[in-house]
Amino acid sequence: MLRLSTLALALLMALPAHADVLRVSAIPDENPTELQRKYQPLAAYLAKATGMEVKFVPVTDYAATVEGLASGKLDLVWYGGFTYVQARRRTGNAIPLVQREEDARFHSRIIVSARSKAMSLADLKGATFAFGSVSSTSGHLMPRYFMTREGVVPERDFSKVSYSGAHDATAKWVETGVVDAGALNESVLQRLLDEKKVDASKIRVLWTSPEFFDYNWTVRGDLPKPLVEKIRAAFLALDYSNPEHKVLLDLQRTRKFIPTKPDNYAGIEEAARAAGLIKDP
Amino acid sequence: MSANARALPPPAPWWLRWPGAAVVAAGAISYRVCEGDLAQLTSARARDAVAGFVGGFWPPAHSTEFLSSLVRPALETLGIAYAGMTLALFVAAPLSFLAASPRVFVTGGDQPTRLHMALHHGVRALLSFMRAIPELLWALLFVRAAGLGAMPGVLAVGIAYAGVVGKVFAEIYESVPRGPAVALATAGATPVRAFAFGVFPQAMPLMTSYTLYRLDCAVRASAVLGLVGAGGLGQQADVALRMFQYDETATIMLVLFGLVAALDGVSFLVRRRLERSRGLFPHGRVALRNRCLAVVGGTAAFGATLQALDAPLWEMLLPSSVTHVAEFAAGMLPPDLGELGKVGTALVETLAISVFGTLLAAALAMALAYPASRKLFLQELGDEAAKRFMVRWQLRRVVHSVARGVLNLGRTVPETLWALLLIFAVGLGPFAGALALALHTAGVLGRLYAEALEEVDLGPARAMMNTGVRPGLAVLAAVLPQAFTQLIAFTLYRWEVNVRASAVLGLVGGGGLGAQLHVALGLFQYPQAMTLILGLLVLVLAVEQLSARLRRALGSGGQGPRAAVAAW
Repeated sequence: MLRLSTLALALLMALPAHADVLRVSAIPDENPTELQRKYQPLAAYLAKATGMEVKFVPVTDYAATVEGLASGKLDLVWYGGFTYVQARRRTGNAIPLVQREEDARFHSRIIVSARSKAMSLADLKGATFAFGSVSSTSGHLMPRYFMTREGVVPERDFSKVSYSGAHDATAKWVETGVVDAGALNESVLQRLLDEKKVDASKIRVLWTSPEFFDYNWTVRGDLPKPLVEKIRAAFLALDYSNPEHKVLLDLQRTRKFIPTKPDNYAGIEEAARAAGLIKDP
Repeated sequence: MSANARALPPPAPWWLRWPGAAVVAAGAISYRVCEGDLAQLTSARARDAVAGFVGGFWPPAHSTEFLSSLVRPALETLGIAYAGMTLALFVAAPLSFLAASPRVFVTGGDQPTRLHMALHHGVRALLSFMRAIPELLWALLFVRAAGLGAMPGVLAVGIAYAGVVGKVFAEIYESVPRGPAVALATAGATPVRAFAFGVFPQAMPLMTSYTLYRLDCAVRASAVLGLVGAGGLGQQADVALRMFQYDETATIMLVLFGLVAALDGVSFLVRRRLERSRGLFPHGRVALRNRCLAVVGGTAAFGATLQALDAPLWEMLLPSSVTHVAEFAAGMLPPDLGELGKVGTALVETLAISVFGTLLAAALAMALAYPASRKLFLQELGDEAAKRFMVRWQLRRVVHSVARGVLNLGRTVPETLWALLLIFAVGLGPFAGALALALHTAGVLGRLYAEALEEVDLGPARAMMNTGVRPGLAVLAAVLPQAFTQLIAFTLYRWEVNVRASAVLGLVGGGGLGAQLHVALGLFQYPQAMTLILGLLVLVLAVEQLSARLRRALGSGGQGPRAAVAAW
């Protein structure tokens, strides 16, 4: 019996730690079916470029992607600016690789019902308000930060503040009147309107934020350097005039990926600190 | 039950002299605290929302593509439930021996040893802790601490259910007749042997039947776990609901309903077989061999399920995983006591949601239990006059089917999904949470009430009907009073469950503690999250104590594990 359990233990220790699989994930800022559709072709492309098996791991909790990167269960993650900052703080060595060209000058929007009388942020006093996920950059942090700078403090000025969990849910909540107003990311709003998932006659954009750095692709800091460079090169090589690449880029709703660096996100970290969303011990 | 009901109840403490007034006061206060507004239910927005649901739910989505996309999540849900339940058994079975009162092991006049007493109290506290935290919250923590995919689901069901199963098993050991064990001990058997041959075999049938019942619950629970990223049907339902794809939601609910019903059928057959065979050591070698094979087969299936779910549970034992979980846990300490006021408010709100939800559920269940009972409503006490008039008889059958349908629907749809629906009808906040809780709980309690009503002596009611009293009145006057303490016991047990449930509703916009917890976890403010979890723990344990005292005071606490089995 003892020998048997020793053997079992030895086998346990010898289990391989999935060395040749690249585990890719993304923050769940849109609904998971949409995310699966969006990332499958990218996974196939990266598999070809790196020669590794690429596995897309769907996650429905923002912060779980950060813990996943920290515990080595994920290798490459699509983060929002704020989740990147959290991942960097949590791991100390996560590397931001690339971002879409529009992520370098991203905006949030606040929408209200088309019937609403509000014409400015100040008119929203006493309204019910929805952010997306608590961990969202364009659905929470930046709108909160800029609104506060313009003198509207959510917890003080709104009658109720809630978190819908995702950008598309926020849009639906405003459209159906669950809340009076909501903040979300411009590119998801555009898609929802384009695909007629949200009725353009029922909502109105009340406010657009100043621009800020948002989403990027981040890798674990302890991945082998050549692999990191291979991944970065693969993203930068995507060319909109190549029909195969176009499909992939259209799904990412961009025309081009550009390099990015940690300094780009210093502003986000500052905003998070100012909004009290990260606290230094 | 009957022996207790006939015994004279002890005098009630002062705060229970007017139980009706206490209930009304509790209802009114909790209604205020959870921002109750029943007028909302008839507002234009609620009408639009309901019209949207009804129009959208029918016909359920049935394209081949969509149906085939549900196969894997459905299997995943079953897999998580099975693996989680097996894990719970592995954890709970050894703990249950220590959780049982040490007196079960001691025969004659001996006192239990100090070490045994200490272990007993330690294990009981551990089990309380494990079940005080709702499985959805365990899942949320495990998604962070132990990785992605189905694994957090399996761990969450395993840990939370082990807490419940361990407690119920212990209560079963304590409740079986002591005669055989005492006889064995007198004949010289050691305490452990006296337990193994005198207590355990008697407890076995009820334990098995409880395990099977619990597996049903696990299927429902694991369907919900998808909401926090643990895969399965819940994730699909969440997405469909958030996207207003009601037809898809309807199909998912039907699939879930089918799974639970199928499992119910299977476990009914297994339980019937078990009742016929006898305990752990059946007569005949073949039966014994079959039983061993079943255990081996079950364990192998456990391994295979984990493999299929890609949830390598054994990796949790690797040093790196242990370190990561330990680091995560250490990161939550010490709890942040900076904002105790906010935590207090959230706790009060959570308590209010649970009280109002449970009271409303009890009222709904009370109204539906009689028409939902086939035995009372159609067979034994069916209106003889009605049977002669076909139209009235058919009407009675329709009412019966509708009542059953409403209860089944309420029970099948988890409270978290009800909440996601209700926020569109009554807006965000605790009131949506309380209503969601009420709908689900009404389904559970309605069935329990109906079963309790069917078990009482129908003689008095028949006698009343023979003198011309209408059946509904006869049930009210002659059936309900007999089962009343039992119904209250069920309701109180359910309240204990609902306190946990209402803490979770905040995760989906239903107010209470969950909303704050969600924010704290989302911002990595783990020490704050820890404070909230500790607050929840205190609340859950306090409610458990209060409920036990109430049950004792009302003379309805002594039904032993059967009531707990039914309500938990």
